[in-house]
Amino acid sequence: MADLFDGYPLGQQWDEMFSAPGQPRPPYTGLFSSLQPMSGEELAARADVLSQTYRDAGVTFAHAGEEQPFPLDIVPRVIGHEEWAVIERGVAQRVRALEAFLADVYGAGQVFSDRVVPRSVVTTSAHFHRAAHGLVPPNGVRVHVSGIDLVRDEAGDFRVLEDNLRSPSGVSYVITNRAAMSQVLPELFGDHRVQPVADYPSKLLAALKASAPSGVGDPTVVLLTPGVYNSAYFEHALLARQMGVELVEGRDLVCSGGQVSMRTTDGQQRVDVIYRRIDDEFLDPVHFRSDSVIGCAGVLNAARAGRVTIANAVGNGVADDKLLYTWVPDLIRYYLAEEPVLANADTYRIDDPDTVEWVLSSLDQLVLKPVDGSGGKGIVIGPRADERTLAELAVKVRAAPRDWIAQKPIGLSTSPTLINGRIAPRHVDLRPFAVNDGNDVWVLPGGLTRVALPEGELVVNSSQGGGSKDTWVITPPRPSVEPVPEHDVTRIEFTTADLPAEPPAQDPGPPNDNAVAQSQQQQQGRAIVATLAPSTQPGNASGGQSRDFGPGRTTPC
Amino acid sequence: MSAVPQSQSQSSHGPTQFQTQSQAGPVRVPSDRWRLQVVHRSEFRYGGPVRSSYNEARMTPENSSRQTTLRSRVEIEPTATVHAYRDYWGSTVTAFDTHGPHTELIVKATSVVEAGPEPHQPDPLGWAELAAPDVLDRFGEMLRPTPLTAMDEPVVQALREVVGDAGPREAGHLVCRYVYEHIEYLTGSTNVKTNAMQAWTSGKGVCQDISHVSVGLLRALGLPARYVSGYLHPKPQAPIGTSVTGESHAWVEWWDGGWSGYDPTNSAEVGPRHVTLARGRDYSDVPPLKGIFSGPKSEGATVSVEVTRLA
Amino acid sequence: MLSRIAESLFWIGRYVERADDTARILDVHTQRLVEDPWIDEQRACANLLALMGAPCPPEEADTEKVLATLAFERSSPSSITGALSAARENARGAREVLSAEIWESLNVTHNALPQQRTMARRYGPHSLFRFVRERSAMVFGLADATMSRDEGWLFLILGRSLERVDMTARMLSTRVLAGDAAPSWTLVLRSTGAYEPYLRTYRGAVNSSRAAEFLLLDRLFPRSVFASLEQAEGCLAELERANVREGHRIGVAGEAHRIVGRARTMLEFMQTDEILAKLPTRLDELQRTCSLASEAVTNRFFTEQAPQIWVPEGVG
Repeated sequence: MADLFDGYPLGQQWDEMFSAPGQPRPPYTGLFSSLQPMSGEELAARADVLSQTYRDAGVTFAHAGEEQPFPLDIVPRVIGHEEWAVIERGVAQRVRALEAFLADVYGAGQVFSDRVVPRSVVTTSAHFHRAAHGLVPPNGVRVHVSGIDLVRDEAGDFRVLEDNLRSPSGVSYVITNRAAMSQVLPELFGDHRVQPVADYPSKLLAALKASAPSGVGDPTVVLLTPGVYNSAYFEHALLARQMGVELVEGRDLVCSGGQVSMRTTDGQQRVDVIYRRIDDEFLDPVHFRSDSVIGCAGVLNAARAGRVTIANAVGNGVADDKLLYTWVPDLIRYYLAEEPVLANADTYRIDDPDTVEWVLSSLDQLVLKPVDGSGGKGIVIGPRADERTLAELAVKVRAAPRDWIAQKPIGLSTSPTLINGRIAPRHVDLRPFAVNDGNDVWVLPGGLTRVALPEGELVVNSSQGGGSKDTWVITPPRPSVEPVPEHDVTRIEFTTADLPAEPPAQDPGPPNDNAVAQSQQQQQGRAIVATLAPSTQPGNASGGQSRDFGPGRTTPC
Repeated sequence: MSAVPQSQSQSSHGPTQFQTQSQAGPVRVPSDRWRLQVVHRSEFRYGGPVRSSYNEARMTPENSSRQTTLRSRVEIEPTATVHAYRDYWGSTVTAFDTHGPHTELIVKATSVVEAGPEPHQPDPLGWAELAAPDVLDRFGEMLRPTPLTAMDEPVVQALREVVGDAGPREAGHLVCRYVYEHIEYLTGSTNVKTNAMQAWTSGKGVCQDISHVSVGLLRALGLPARYVSGYLHPKPQAPIGTSVTGESHAWVEWWDGGWSGYDPTNSAEVGPRHVTLARGRDYSDVPPLKGIFSGPKSEGATVSVEVTRLA
Repeated sequence: MLSRIAESLFWIGRYVERADDTARILDVHTQRLVEDPWIDEQRACANLLALMGAPCPPEEADTEKVLATLAFERSSPSSITGALSAARENARGAREVLSAEIWESLNVTHNALPQQRTMARRYGPHSLFRFVRERSAMVFGLADATMSRDEGWLFLILGRSLERVDMTARMLSTRVLAGDAAPSWTLVLRSTGAYEPYLRTYRGAVNSSRAAEFLLLDRLFPRSVFASLEQAEGCLAELERANVREGHRIGVAGEAHRIVGRARTMLEFMQTDEILAKLPTRLDELQRTCSLASEAVTNRFFTEQAPQIWVPEGVG
């Protein structure tokens, strides 16, 4: 009993909850006192209910070709408001710098003339799409939605691990995690003031509408999905539903004379903004893969002509390239004249012979990431790898050093996670989501915390079997003078005084034959209040007169 | 027929005669410049009705110090809405799509340009300067081999011996001469997908192949090089007013402090007979007409280029 | 709404109704083979296959073939299995518009078919047919209870009504065209679920012209051809009202509406004797009405699908 956190091991890495055994950090004091009295079985039972809620709601994702319920750990991750303020500033700063970079790279190329970034980094990137050159979005925004992946290092500072500017996914789980947790652990929410995540869809919709071609009064926004067989379809459908926009596939769209329309029963309806969850390569068979069946031919030129907005813009991949990542702090200084709020992980480009030799001699101490990999594939964690893997890696790196970057491994922070009825530390990262509406970069409070479920595992990506946690950002304490809450005319509230003293009974319907037969049989020796009237008096349901009252019910409700 | 709105139109009647529209007597141009009219017609025929097609034409000549484009229009049958833009390489693109069943697509580009010899080039840089980091950074895309232009090391080695210790500008000319002597011009020996090494090995090719090989070798030596697409008036002594069958043509440019052009297919300087359309790393960056269509297989395409010296 | 989704709903209506009515026809047919000692099985089976649009040479026709073609064939939308699979595929793409319950219902039905087939082999097909009838009723019942009466619902019911016209006409044909190998009128009425309603209406022995009249013209029985045409017409009128486009001239009714309206008018105002005198022709016309109306609906509301296979072209 009450041994939930006993023996919780603390190592060198930063633990999210504990600074010392039994001593929770300030944001976690409330959670600790709520959870501490529980036993492992109790918590596990709640966790089962949580899992069931998810199953019933049909929240799944596709892993290894199968649909599985999304693994949500019951212990939330908590971030204090001051810490969050730093993250918010840092993420917004990064997005602004990368927006400026993208505008420059697909425009004047000043960043090259000023020798901030070598031109070849961009021109040799597989995601540099020359077809997007000269394309200026109506409100200048190219990164409508981004996911900036963060980890906390041994000293407890947040560092940026990766930028995702193309089609970052996972926000639907943020929303559904919160909904499930608030159903299963409502009392915890009562004790904390957790910033809501439910306004993400309305913020996203506003940003998308703001990015429509100028002169359009009420822009028509659609969400373009590859279709039901795509692993992220659940998210596409959820977002479309919550934003109230049409969920379309490529075959529902047609581009004619530079204008994009969707095929409806009422004829072709003009589309102004396409929030597309399809890779650039498949988006437009005119410029990219001509064998794509999920795109819309002609859409890129329509965007170039200013007749439609593609969100996120084509070609963003050049700015979330792993090699370019090493220059992002310089880009922040160059475009914004600011120092980066959030630092990169210590990363090295393998682009000169000295670095090549140093990397090759320390392969077992470094993390090597392929520049063109995503979803965690191809990453080699030196300290964990065996001889053979390292030898193969050395060959690959020597052959094409430009295809790799080297990073000093970060001891990712750990968070208490329910494993087999006990609480144990597991490594976590954080993906905050940012929405850019052209005036402001809004960061969703919290984001997706991903947990590496196997013990000691460092790769947290969901496509490799990870789990997630609800992420709470606590609101700052209210000012001492509480503003009088406005009378909300949309809330309808009653008190018990409004309840009728004797609410009418439900109609029982005509008596059935059995009741009549019974009463006939029992006429002699029983004092039964027999009535053949259609309704009985409230409070009196003795005798087998009416069918509609269930067994054991003595008062109508 | 729909058209990119440009200056006034001019019709051409028949293949041999043509009408001037100028009011004040014959046009005069400097003796080393020609005024040329080019009519470039591409026609696709389909096996049955095609519902939709999306295309981009790069058939609009450029304006530069060597060449002035006086008039240019692109006409398309069946009627199509067009949108013109400048692409990454600076080419003028006419994008259009057609809907509604059609069994053929005809794109006709009519241009009038004044062209002359290459302007005088500044003194060339030396090899060391060409290898400077900022030059390598600036011209990276024009130095890197591409699938259509990459040349094998043994060929490059043999070339280096021919070049010896010549400077970059001289080397450029030597490369073009070398290729001219090695590859025999033979139409039909290759197709649009043939790459430089294939052409080199067979020893035969057309201007596209000869230019690809030249560009590949120039780059291998360390000279940033570009593939140029355009038109050529085939006759050095052409009477004014007579239309001749011209051709879509390709040649090369390299950078040695400034961009110099040369025509390795004809082993000649680029001059008033050359009309420049577009430049890129190789043919795939500047195809005159490319697109996608949905429907029955294409039954083939015919291309004709008619060039008339106006002055 | 998106044309693709509307088209899916239309076809879900058609496919589920088709599965339902096919199950009814087959149920009656197999029952007959058991009950009637003088029946010529081969001829009866051949007739049935022909009437369902899947003719086969008389020597090959037997109950096994009938069941294989009309109940179990996965790839043919004329078979129960094929129709229910197709309905489910359409529902998958339209999940956002259909309620979760309807999707689940179709999904569960489809997934249970292999097991039902095994049971049918062992215990006879009656349980399979009952299963299909019940599941179809469930799908339409859920649609009735959980779908808003918007365009999506209208297309679903339109599809169901048109298919019902076609299938009821086919059921009538099994009696009318099969001569002495024909099932009795009683069986035909049973197959449409019309037997008890008929008896309550006419209180007496089954009379052939009255039975035909009942199935064709009865205003109150929902499976009659007339009632189905009327419902289809109602859906089309509602859809057109909702889709008034700019410049759409009043009086120029949609083609589908015209086709269905004409069939319904013919039934409404022609003398019963006239109709019955040329019954085979009328039945054939009704089946054609269904096809033509379906085509007209497709042309009007489900504008052609975008071409998705692109061929690159390029020239010098």
